[in-house]
Amino acid sequence: MGYYASVLTTATINLMAILSMYVLMGLTGIFSMGQAAFMCVGAYTAGMLAVRTSLPMVVVVVISVGMGMLSAFLVGLPVVKLRRDYIALITLGFGEAIVALLNNLSNVTGGANGINGIPRKMNIYLALGVLAVLIFLLLNFKNSKFGRHCIAIKNDELSAAAMGINVPRIKLLAFVLAGGITALSGCLMAYNTTFIEPMAYGSVKSIDWICFVFVGGVSSLTGTLVSGLIFNLLPEVLRVFSLYRIIVQGAIVLLIINFMPQGLFGEYELSDLVKKVAGLFKKKPAVAGGDKQ
Amino acid sequence: MNILEVTDLSINFGGVKAVQNVSMRAEKGSITSIIGPNGAGKTTFFNLVSGIYKPTSGKVMLDGEDITSLKQHEISHKGISRTFQNIRLFNQLSNLQNVQSALDARANYNVFEAVLGLPGKRKKDKENRERSRYFLDLVDLGDVAEERPNSLPYGKQRRLELARALASEPKLLMLDEPAAGLNPTEVEEFIELIRKIQGVFDLSILLIEHRLKVVHTLSNHIYVLNFGELLAEGNSEQIQANQEVIAAYMGEDED
Repeated sequence: MGYYASVLTTATINLMAILSMYVLMGLTGIFSMGQAAFMCVGAYTAGMLAVRTSLPMVVVVVISVGMGMLSAFLVGLPVVKLRRDYIALITLGFGEAIVALLNNLSNVTGGANGINGIPRKMNIYLALGVLAVLIFLLLNFKNSKFGRHCIAIKNDELSAAAMGINVPRIKLLAFVLAGGITALSGCLMAYNTTFIEPMAYGSVKSIDWICFVFVGGVSSLTGTLVSGLIFNLLPEVLRVFSLYRIIVQGAIVLLIINFMPQGLFGEYELSDLVKKVAGLFKKKPAVAGGDKQ
Repeated sequence: MNILEVTDLSINFGGVKAVQNVSMRAEKGSITSIIGPNGAGKTTFFNLVSGIYKPTSGKVMLDGEDITSLKQHEISHKGISRTFQNIRLFNQLSNLQNVQSALDARANYNVFEAVLGLPGKRKKDKENRERSRYFLDLVDLGDVAEERPNSLPYGKQRRLELARALASEPKLLMLDEPAAGLNPTEVEEFIELIRKIQGVFDLSILLIEHRLKVVHTLSNHIYVLNFGELLAEGNSEQIQANQEVIAAYMGEDED
């Protein structure tokens, strides 16, 4: 695989994880500071199964996503009844706990050495394909009653409950969905890098994701995708200045939050633009018909 | 026949007895009002009935069914809908979607149908969109369906909240100071609107209001709260003639 293809594959897989942050923060208004832990769950499930069993990749992916959803469900159960700031704290704690657990259960997980020798089964086409499917499913989710419930909860929980929305249940749904997506990304990452270690999935990664979503525009799926892509490719572009990477990233986040508090895209979606353009084309035949007369 | 029956409802916040042993009934198809000075416990009473607070003691019956221990969304599904004193709309949803939120909460497709965009889901969403448009038209907001609530003037936001509360077709509609902040013309329009809505849906309404004009024009029955306790009840004339009520509103007469 060429260099650019490999960079793009990694970026695409990371982008999936960032999409899960969009579901939580952008749609539902839940701050998860330990989301990377679910990536860890997915990666380790996949890693252990791929190295120690001969299950086909599809089965491993399904199991990994299931494990991500299950752990999100277990963490989410107590979390969704709490206020926003407490949710951030608890997820932060959970994230760090998972990393510590994997580090110390060395006879099962390989500890700080991680897991080696996972077969490389990812390529750019597969990664892009999965991302496309994911975006399709998420757009449908956003444009359904569930998406509107999430936005209603983000805007005003009390009023959402008064309309008959089961607030803890919808929050749990968002949490489980996000957990599944993040685990999927972790699982594909394991098949991509062939090597996993727990330290890569600490809270720093989760906080990075939060920054990406804010820069892109917390309420825009398109914005999340664009900024996720930029920030994932940035380290490669700035490879020569790798020492200063974090400074550049910090500067961009600060500038955006100061001058564009709604993020790059605000609430705009690419699909809005497509609709507008489609609208322009629809009107044209009527005008043409008028000309003929 | 009573749509709502509240018996000895009380709640304490720490040592503060915000509502004490309040009993009341609202007759089916009627407009019942709760009035009282600021801090009398009117909104707290609403919050108790609609499930935001759990009462320390007492019982709430809706249409013969005990709803005291139910959660907020369960009470909504049982048939109580409400508006808020300080308008609480969903600012990132369009006005139409705000109304639709009540219908969405009653739509019966699951998450798989939703993410796959299956025909059943599309059909339900389309039906609900059309139904929401009907409620928007009812409060005369059909022309701003695609705009956002925060771009509407105050009076229209109040009407949007009313449409949203109506969309679930409740047995009991609870309005918390719906005429607050409206100018005199808007108040007239509001009274007309309530009459119109009552004609269409044969609704039972529970109303908190400070504008006595609204209260006396619309109410079939009035309850007066003061310091968390029931002070008086009766029809409009009886309340206007009640010396205790006048004292509570105007202050005691010194001589």
